[in-house]
Amino acid sequence: MDSKRHGTVDEPLLRDEAVVALPPERETLNGHKLPVMDPAQFHAASEKILAAINKVIDGKAEAAKLALTVLLAQGHLLVEDVPGVGKTLLAKTLARTIDCKVSRIQFTPDLLPSDVTGVSIYNQSSRQFEFRMGAVFANIVIGDEINRASAKTQSALLECMEEHQVTVDGHSYQLGEPFMVVATQNPIEMEGTYPLPEAQRDRFMARISMGYPDKLSEIEMLETHQAVSPLAKVTPVVTSSDVAAMIATVQQVFVSQAVKEYTVALGRATRDSARLRLGASPRSLLQLLRAAKATAALDGRDFVLPDDVISVAESVLAHRIILDRKAASSGDTPHSIIRAILASLPVSQDAGAERRGS
Amino acid sequence: MTTTSRHETPGRTPRPASTSTGEGGAFSLGPGKVPPARKPGPGAYPWAMSAAVAIAVLGTSLSLNGVFRGWAWLVPAITTVCTVAMTLAVLRALRAHALLITLGGLVSLAFILTFTFFRQQSIAGFVPSRETYVQFGKLLKRAGETVVSETAPVAPNAGIVFVACASLGLVVVLTDALAVPLGMPATSGLGLLAVLVFPATIKPQGAGLLGFLAAAVGFILILGCSQWFEPDSRLQTDNPRGTGQLKRSAVIGAVALVLGLLLPLAIPGFERGTFPVGSRLNPWGVSNGLNPMITLGNSLRNPTGDGRITYATSSTATVYLRSVTIDKFDGDTWAPDDREASRRVGPGRVAPDYPLPSDLVRQLTVIDTGQFTSPYLPVPYAPTAVNGLSGRWSWDPETLSIRAEDTNTRNQQYTVYSALPALTSATLSQDNARPTSISQDFIQVPNNVPDIVKNTAKTVTAGANGNYAKAMAIQSYLRSPQFSYSLQAPVQGGYDGNGLSVLADFLEQKSGYCVHFASAMAVMARLSGIPSRIAVGYAPGHSTGVTVAVAGQEPLPEFEVDARDAHAWPELYFEGAGWVAFEPTPSRGVVPPYAADPASAGGPSTNLHDENLTPGSVTPQPSTSAVPPLAGPGGGAGTSAGFGTALYVVAGALLLAVLFASPRLVRSGIRARRLKPPRARRTGSGGGTAPAPPRDGPVLAWAELRDLATDYGVPPVPSETPRHFAGRLRNSAALGAPAASPSGAADDAGQQAVALLTVDFERQRYGPPTDPAADGASEQANATAAGRIAAVRSGLRRNARWFATFRADWFPPSLMSRWFQLVWTPFRWLGGISVAAARRLAASWQSLFGSIRWRR
Repeated sequence: MDSKRHGTVDEPLLRDEAVVALPPERETLNGHKLPVMDPAQFHAASEKILAAINKVIDGKAEAAKLALTVLLAQGHLLVEDVPGVGKTLLAKTLARTIDCKVSRIQFTPDLLPSDVTGVSIYNQSSRQFEFRMGAVFANIVIGDEINRASAKTQSALLECMEEHQVTVDGHSYQLGEPFMVVATQNPIEMEGTYPLPEAQRDRFMARISMGYPDKLSEIEMLETHQAVSPLAKVTPVVTSSDVAAMIATVQQVFVSQAVKEYTVALGRATRDSARLRLGASPRSLLQLLRAAKATAALDGRDFVLPDDVISVAESVLAHRIILDRKAASSGDTPHSIIRAILASLPVSQDAGAERRGS
Repeated sequence: MTTTSRHETPGRTPRPASTSTGEGGAFSLGPGKVPPARKPGPGAYPWAMSAAVAIAVLGTSLSLNGVFRGWAWLVPAITTVCTVAMTLAVLRALRAHALLITLGGLVSLAFILTFTFFRQQSIAGFVPSRETYVQFGKLLKRAGETVVSETAPVAPNAGIVFVACASLGLVVVLTDALAVPLGMPATSGLGLLAVLVFPATIKPQGAGLLGFLAAAVGFILILGCSQWFEPDSRLQTDNPRGTGQLKRSAVIGAVALVLGLLLPLAIPGFERGTFPVGSRLNPWGVSNGLNPMITLGNSLRNPTGDGRITYATSSTATVYLRSVTIDKFDGDTWAPDDREASRRVGPGRVAPDYPLPSDLVRQLTVIDTGQFTSPYLPVPYAPTAVNGLSGRWSWDPETLSIRAEDTNTRNQQYTVYSALPALTSATLSQDNARPTSISQDFIQVPNNVPDIVKNTAKTVTAGANGNYAKAMAIQSYLRSPQFSYSLQAPVQGGYDGNGLSVLADFLEQKSGYCVHFASAMAVMARLSGIPSRIAVGYAPGHSTGVTVAVAGQEPLPEFEVDARDAHAWPELYFEGAGWVAFEPTPSRGVVPPYAADPASAGGPSTNLHDENLTPGSVTPQPSTSAVPPLAGPGGGAGTSAGFGTALYVVAGALLLAVLFASPRLVRSGIRARRLKPPRARRTGSGGGTAPAPPRDGPVLAWAELRDLATDYGVPPVPSETPRHFAGRLRNSAALGAPAASPSGAADDAGQQAVALLTVDFERQRYGPPTDPAADGASEQANATAAGRIAAVRSGLRRNARWFATFRADWFPPSLMSRWFQLVWTPFRWLGGISVAAARRLAASWQSLFGSIRWRR
């Protein structure tokens, strides 16, 4: 089915640039045809990536790990913070540590959807329309200040993020694997911006905010980053096929019935909470579990613990839930409410019950 | 079986339309018409539920059989209950408001009661009118009189049956209201219990098996119906309305019932097996105004000894307090005859209307009745004046019994002056004349005296010459060793109570208590030509060791009696001497000197008990060593008091020791079971129908670790993951925090064990399924788990203070908290129910008023 689709796209451009990056394809990934990494390899690869990122961004190990988690869980990342704390730097570093195609889109109000997805141009010599791929045809797409683009441009990104494909003029073009959108957003200076609507926020697996570095890290940063751009030193540490294998490994992580039940209970608790107007969607639970699987794999396990779910729950759920007006005015934040729910949600540890996943 | 989490009344639950064409289709538009497509009807539910309630209430009411004589009362009861239940069902089928349904039930109850009892005094035969109200008052008064004056079983007159029917109808409405609109079917048993309480307290042998079983079956039916039609929302089954629910409810109910019946056997003090037994359930413990002859047996069997009366007397002889006499020996049950016509008001001066000898021994007795409640005043015989009473009192010149007119004996303090002829056997034996100056009431022999009584009387008095000799012959016959004192034998033999047929049974079985002995002697005396009556009151009590100062007297010694001293004895009339008390009951009371048998040298005792009771017949103090009646029938024969006490002490100490040790025993039992190798465990727990999930070693070891941590003060939090809990435990002082501990290696063992146990548990619970074939490996893993638990335990013990160690050993918090939870569950449950009931009531109130406003 996939090969057929590819058959329709016979543009030389596509072959030249994208094909190198395109395999491993999604279908094959899901079919477990790729070699799955053994734990030691996986651990080594992930350590290499994290070490490379941490070399560039000081004191942000947590954010780096979460970014890697989202990459391995095949999700998209939304980085939201004030200017100048290294949002774009994180995205770029992550992209550069992997030997794959990276593109960067600076979103502006006059950016058009075709700039993102690509456009068909009439080729005089061949007398045919040729598809010129947009910036989205890459393995890691960095969308800077995504809230500055108009709604239609933002939504052009939607299909890409969800379907991993682009449809132009009735043709669907498959995107590369791995494919990850790292968007940054600036919560202040909101004039003339188009804040991401809920539906679009829901497509990002996780939202992180960088936060300011601590004192020592900041001093070190001032010393080391004085002369040269830190990015210049970054060289790829893993290949894109390595990343694909890592993703396949993550997919193999076992999820027990108990963890599924816990995840569902968490989702239901957010929906039942009186302080929330909108709870976690089923899709968010799916993504939560995928992120938990990636966390488990990064921790060197081949099964998910409730701890994994808890560790990513805040990042995955906080940007999807909407506070009740009363709760918002009484000083609650999505993060505080999720923390409260986690603190009150029992983790069943009884010897009985159905322990096994189906 | 809590079913309190309903959110809707069952009758209003949307149900598929197809079911509404069943029984519930009675209200549909026509046979050919399709039912309207608006709201689907409630179907069979109201009918089944009402039927269940009616069956339950009627079944429970069967236990009233011993309270009423015969079954004539059952017909109006059935009519009432069925009518009310039917009304409820119809209203519910019509989907009326919940509050309206209950109101409708009450209205229909009023109608059917009017129809049954006041048809003449009502409008159109069933609508109450002013005349109905007048008649209603009359019936109530009659019922009240019946309760006060008659004995159970009472003849079912209109008054008492009316009260019974009204109560049963109210119980139907109450049960239904609890089960359906309030959605708490489990509490509907309260209504049934209300019915059951009456026979349980009034009938001497308790509510009876039939009534109790019927009540239980009815209760299970209600539970089953409500569960069948409106299953608990928490039981998330695919098929909510199946017979499975009914079956499950019935099974749970039956198990609870069996437990409830078995539990009393395990509790000391519940010496008789069946649960609702009158003497135990009677919270008043004293005469309840019914026949004192009936309540006497219950009083004697009452182990608590309520109704304490204290008295101080100037008498040198033992004092019997007498309440009332019984002299009519015909009829099914004997009751005091109050002789309303000849009663005189005011006990200031009391004088008999028969001649008394001149040489009287005068006494003064000061009595405080305390909580004892009865219409009859206990006084020593024969009173000449009573001072200090409050309220209006009257006395009967023939029997000298004093009765309250508008009050009772509760909290009365009074002084009784009494006078008794100085009697000796010599003066009594002079009297051989037929009594003349006495009412025929005391001489009449009933027509239907059973042959065995007549024959016995004839045989016993055959050799005796003269009235006194005859009386002594009867008394010694009854005190002879062939008779035994027993409170239980009459109950078991079915002749508890009184009456001529009971007497015949008693003379056959030769075992009974004071009522039987006294009535036997009284009847046999009449058969021999001696006028007689039965006195009911109290045998001499025990000294309290206190003296009471009375004006113009020396301080008087004080005595006390309570329900356990309740007694009956015969009084025989001797011309010239007046009424003379005898004591035919072995082991109770004191034989008066004039009636002491000269033949038996060591006093008039006939058995061991008696010796304790009568320490020399002329001791000024009444017996202080009265044997508690609890030791009563069976044990009384051979065991001396000292040995019995020792036995109790040893048993108590053993019980205490077992109780004290049991948390420890249970706790170590749980630990051993958890750490047992899997093979043994599997064979031990085998036999289940469904393949139970294998409870693997790491999971059980983890449960043990959690409990262990709880015991040593690091209880797990429910919202904690295993890893988090393990981290907290390892960092806590209980296990010696890794950095802080100076004795490194040993404590590290505990730390490491916790970590390994955690990893094992996580892999077992959250990891991919392992190969089940590796059985040997798991056995080995179990041994290591046991070792690790031991390591953790020793680590915990090393770091704990002595108190924590002691507590963990003897009162492990992990176990105790579970037990406390279990104990508290009913209270929490009750609290939940009351809160839910209040909320529902408020909600239905609001919705009712809301709908009224909306219609206007």
